[in-house]
Amino acid sequence: MTIRAAYQTLAVSRSGPVGWLVFNRPAAANAMDATMLAELETAWLELDADPDVRVIVNTGEGRAFQTGLDVVQLARQPEALREQSRRTKRAELKLTAWHNAVSKPVIAAVNGVCAGGGLHFIADADIVIAASDASFLDPHVSVGQVSAYETIGLARKVAFESVLRMALVGSRERMSAQRAYDIGLISQVIDPPEGLREQAQALAELVADHEPGELARRKRALWDALERGLSASYEKAAMRGMTVTRETDQR
Amino acid sequence: MSDGYGTYETLKLERQGGVGWLINNRPEALNAMNAMMRDEFAQAWIELDRDPAVRVIVHTGEGRAFQTGVDVAELASDGIGMERYRESASTFDLHFTSWHQRVAKPVITAVNGLCAGGAFHWVADADIVIAASDAQFFDPHVSVGQVVAMEAIGLMRKMPFEAVMRMALVGRHERMSAERAYQLGMISQVVDPPENLRAEAQTLAEKIALNSPAAMLASKRALWGALEMGLTDACREGAQDLVSMWGHPDQEEGPQAFAAKRRAEWLPLDAEKTAGTGPGPR
Repeated sequence: MTIRAAYQTLAVSRSGPVGWLVFNRPAAANAMDATMLAELETAWLELDADPDVRVIVNTGEGRAFQTGLDVVQLARQPEALREQSRRTKRAELKLTAWHNAVSKPVIAAVNGVCAGGGLHFIADADIVIAASDASFLDPHVSVGQVSAYETIGLARKVAFESVLRMALVGSRERMSAQRAYDIGLISQVIDPPEGLREQAQALAELVADHEPGELARRKRALWDALERGLSASYEKAAMRGMTVTRETDQR
Repeated sequence: MSDGYGTYETLKLERQGGVGWLINNRPEALNAMNAMMRDEFAQAWIELDRDPAVRVIVHTGEGRAFQTGVDVAELASDGIGMERYRESASTFDLHFTSWHQRVAKPVITAVNGLCAGGAFHWVADADIVIAASDAQFFDPHVSVGQVVAMEAIGLMRKMPFEAVMRMALVGRHERMSAERAYQLGMISQVVDPPENLRAEAQTLAEKIALNSPAAMLASKRALWGALEMGLTDACREGAQDLVSMWGHPDQEEGPQAFAAKRRAEWLPLDAEKTAGTGPGPR
């Protein structure tokens, strides 16, 4: 077993070919404080670099999956989050696998409430599954904040109206796991909820069965298609395909 | 109820609490849009957006139809016909939806019945769409020799593509139910029994009216802006919308009210200034 960096706010481990990144501030509903913000970048990069890890699962400890920025810390020690503000302003966030350009497949396993900034992690995951008692909401506008990155990411992946409704209704409504499944925000509902981690491990092992280089190429091509129009996406994918063929030939 | 709004022949404007209502009011013509209605829409959106007492806008229809597109009876009989629409359509200089008019406030479309053809403009361009359980959706353009374009393009950005193409190509020979529209995420709520539609829309609008008006405007800009570009560019531009709220009193008030478990006191929009600064055509 590889030696992991020491983490205070995350639990990082490996089970077979599956790396686990677990939010571990259950007493704070896994809200992100300055320490977690720094540790997330380290953890994604560590798991992506670990040759024994082929697929990464992201979940939370306790009742919540992830509830966004720690507003308690924001109110008490705003200076602790200054670096984060700078990154937000420059669109240089390093919270999620996508922000950190993780090359391996990432599965988000939503174990409970996923609120506000927590939506970053489902917008930016490749596959999302949830416990049947999980729920989704975006309270930003109810506390005087703008909803932007997370919902922009979601808007590329599911029907736009659902995202706008979540962003504008705020804290006064929650989307159920079932509705999230219906609209394709997630692809699997685990019932009973206690089976979530086991099912996530099983799904991750299915994905891990594929050739890692091929998984990474597919992942890159599909995310890249969110960046441009249809024909341009095909062209770029075709160019990549040729590159791959050349590399294979050389081998 | 006049609420001090201008005089309208084809629309009704009302206010209930902080909720402004824009009601299509040509029930005898299934709320089809004639030339007068088109001009009145342009004015009505701006009037509601400017009204400082209005925080959220609901758009619905009187009678058994929500809306059924352009009034073909007028087109066929007044000697001007499609010419009237040609220039504005060919230059994409349209003014009849909230998005065309860059409405700054949240807009809910409440589909009360038939929603056909051009009516999809208001489904595509609203922030939130709900419908009565007996509402029906179809796009008869190709069945009457017309091209489906703008409405369907707007919808395609918001929901699964195949469903939009099917409606565009099957035309009047098939109708989509409210239930299917809900499954596809075209709408987010089916109201049953249908008679409760307006009450449910009012309730939803009142919930939204409790949120920070300035934060909602910036969020609207960020999200609609995201439909215009690739993911990374959208995040970069969204960052500017997000940062635009920094230093605004609502941003302090929100967390404080949350911590004190009291209702937040938001700074109202300066509606005269913000009206028409919402997301719209670029």
